[in-house]
Amino acid sequence: MENVPAYSATEESGRKKFALPVDSEHKATEFRLFSVAAPHMRAFHLSWISFFACFVSTFAAPPLLPIIRDDLDLTATEIGNAGIAAVSGAVFARVAMGSACDLFGPRLASAALTLLTAPAVYCSSIASGPTTFLLVRFFTGFSLATFVSTQFWMSSLFSAPVVGTANGVAGGWGNLGGGATQLIMPIGFELILKMGSDKFTAWRIAFFIPGLFQMLCAYGIFFLGQDLPDGNYAQLHKSGDKHKDKFSKVLYHAVTNYRGWILALTYGYCFGVELAIDNIIAQYFYDRFNVSLHTAGIIAASFGLANFFSRPGGGMLSDIVARRYGMRGRLWALWSVQTLGGIFCIILGKVGTLGVSVAVMLIFSVFVQAACGLTFGVVPFVSRRSLGIISGMTGAGGNVGAVITQVIFFRGSRYTTEKGIMLMGVMIIACTSVITLIHFPQWGGMFTKPSKGKTEEDYYLSEWSEAEKEKGFHKASLKFSENSRHEGGRRVGITESPDTHK
Amino acid sequence: MAINRFLFASVFVCCLVATCDGIVSFNSLKPTLTVTATHKGGVLKAGVDNVTVTWMLDPSVPAGTDSSYKTIKVKLCYAPVSQVDRGWRKTKDDLSKDKTCSHKIVAKPYVAGGAVATATWTVQRDVPTAKYFVRAYAHDAADMEVAYGQTTSADKKTNLFDIEAVTGRHVSLDIASVCFSAFSVVSLFGFFFLERRKTKIAEAK
Repeated sequence: MENVPAYSATEESGRKKFALPVDSEHKATEFRLFSVAAPHMRAFHLSWISFFACFVSTFAAPPLLPIIRDDLDLTATEIGNAGIAAVSGAVFARVAMGSACDLFGPRLASAALTLLTAPAVYCSSIASGPTTFLLVRFFTGFSLATFVSTQFWMSSLFSAPVVGTANGVAGGWGNLGGGATQLIMPIGFELILKMGSDKFTAWRIAFFIPGLFQMLCAYGIFFLGQDLPDGNYAQLHKSGDKHKDKFSKVLYHAVTNYRGWILALTYGYCFGVELAIDNIIAQYFYDRFNVSLHTAGIIAASFGLANFFSRPGGGMLSDIVARRYGMRGRLWALWSVQTLGGIFCIILGKVGTLGVSVAVMLIFSVFVQAACGLTFGVVPFVSRRSLGIISGMTGAGGNVGAVITQVIFFRGSRYTTEKGIMLMGVMIIACTSVITLIHFPQWGGMFTKPSKGKTEEDYYLSEWSEAEKEKGFHKASLKFSENSRHEGGRRVGITESPDTHK
Repeated sequence: MAINRFLFASVFVCCLVATCDGIVSFNSLKPTLTVTATHKGGVLKAGVDNVTVTWMLDPSVPAGTDSSYKTIKVKLCYAPVSQVDRGWRKTKDDLSKDKTCSHKIVAKPYVAGGAVATATWTVQRDVPTAKYFVRAYAHDAADMEVAYGQTTSADKKTNLFDIEAVTGRHVSLDIASVCFSAFSVVSLFGFFFLERRKTKIAEAK
């Protein structure tokens, strides 16, 4: 942290005061978990809680399926299809969310999505058959796109030394919702049942819990959140402090950056695998080891609850290795942790005793979730202009991985579930190997040294044309380049001033 | 007589073998009970309609067959057509893992003497929509199944009846869902309006 210029809270004509130390872009250089100071830590808490709420809603149905499948007369195929629908909606929504963040800011984008998907959660109460059930799960799943706004928001408010940690904790604690819901929904259902409802009515009323939670989160974000340290997008656009970018340009610079595509693929084999496991693991333990549904639910919940420390751990690991080895360290850490996740997945598919299986599953969950955190230690550096769409593409890649994995390995009876898990592990290792192809000209890659003479400014300013630079649109990227210089590793200090570059 | 004794002894030994590790196999049970179920015609409504079940020892079985029977448990069971693609209703030979008969109708102590026992049951409100038949298990003093009887044939294709589940939906729930959903969407437009106003004020300054 000593390499980053830290501005005290009262600099710049005392106009702006921040509770945390900030850099030249006013991004926080420290991450203080127990603070709710505006705008940085407050935005952190608002975004992880609302992402948590969306995860609770998206996976609210699985723990109540034994009741729902009797009420709606569902077959196993219909249940499987609804599960796939729940994660496929977010594929498109995450990319769209990325664009929305680039254009309107994460505060409005996430509040809007959360409010627009709340009706799907409320309408789960009035589902009447397999088709309506699939539709409500599909539309509720769109809310998982709030992942993108969470990561975008953290990347906008937290500086390079702590961005991995901020992204990892926000993402991990949001993902917790997938585990927490396996406990929240059954408890809510039992309480409502005790108050005198029928089973077939109680599950319907229970869906108002995630619905209301989502709505309240959206209100919190709108009234208490702020897009950037200096204000909201709309105000900054009008005052000229923030240039309102063109969607076509933002999109072009995202899709032409091959690193975004590689990370989208590899994220499909950490986060996508996590979603697939969320959908199948309870059944796996129930069928293979003959535990009760209650016990299977607790095992399933513990997989998701490991996110409390494992994903943030991944983000922190990314920041720690970056201090000494820069971006090359981040890439090596990501590749090794995700490959180890693949190895433990293969082992999980092979073990045949309950105790060992649960232990291996927990180890596997830590590695796979840490890999998610490590991925988003790299994503903020892929692009500055198109951060939103790159985040969205990577996030969408996660959901595509979930869909592909479930369709190939966990649908129908081609493979037993244990064989499917083993093969999924092989696929994780294979797909993770493409990380070796990522090369940043200014910092290098896993096996490549930095290209001679290339700087951070060269990389980030290449996203702007000369005409745009003349109008001064690239100023934010200039500041970002300066602040990201330590990604070159410990040998690089901030001794070079920006004037030595064009 | 000797044959009867032999039959009885072999059935008894088979049951012992089957129960020696606690597993009762359905295939090892003999259908010694005659069970009937009467109800109104057509589709039965859960929570509303009744099923009257009767059971008695089959008069043609040898005397003494029912000496171990202590309790009769009558259950509602899924017909094969309602088990298709639904692994949670699967029929398994090991009765501790069998999910065919998941709904209890009634449990009564067994009265020896060949009399017909009756029970009337209102279809419970958590019974799902499906095709059913009724089966009665005879349990011994250790609460292990020792015999059964059912209203359908051995291949479970005849004499099935339909039950229609309650939907669980209520008009008040429908209205609440729609109102909350509408409120969400209206709030969103409210947000956009407020945001617009804020920027207009900032512009005017």
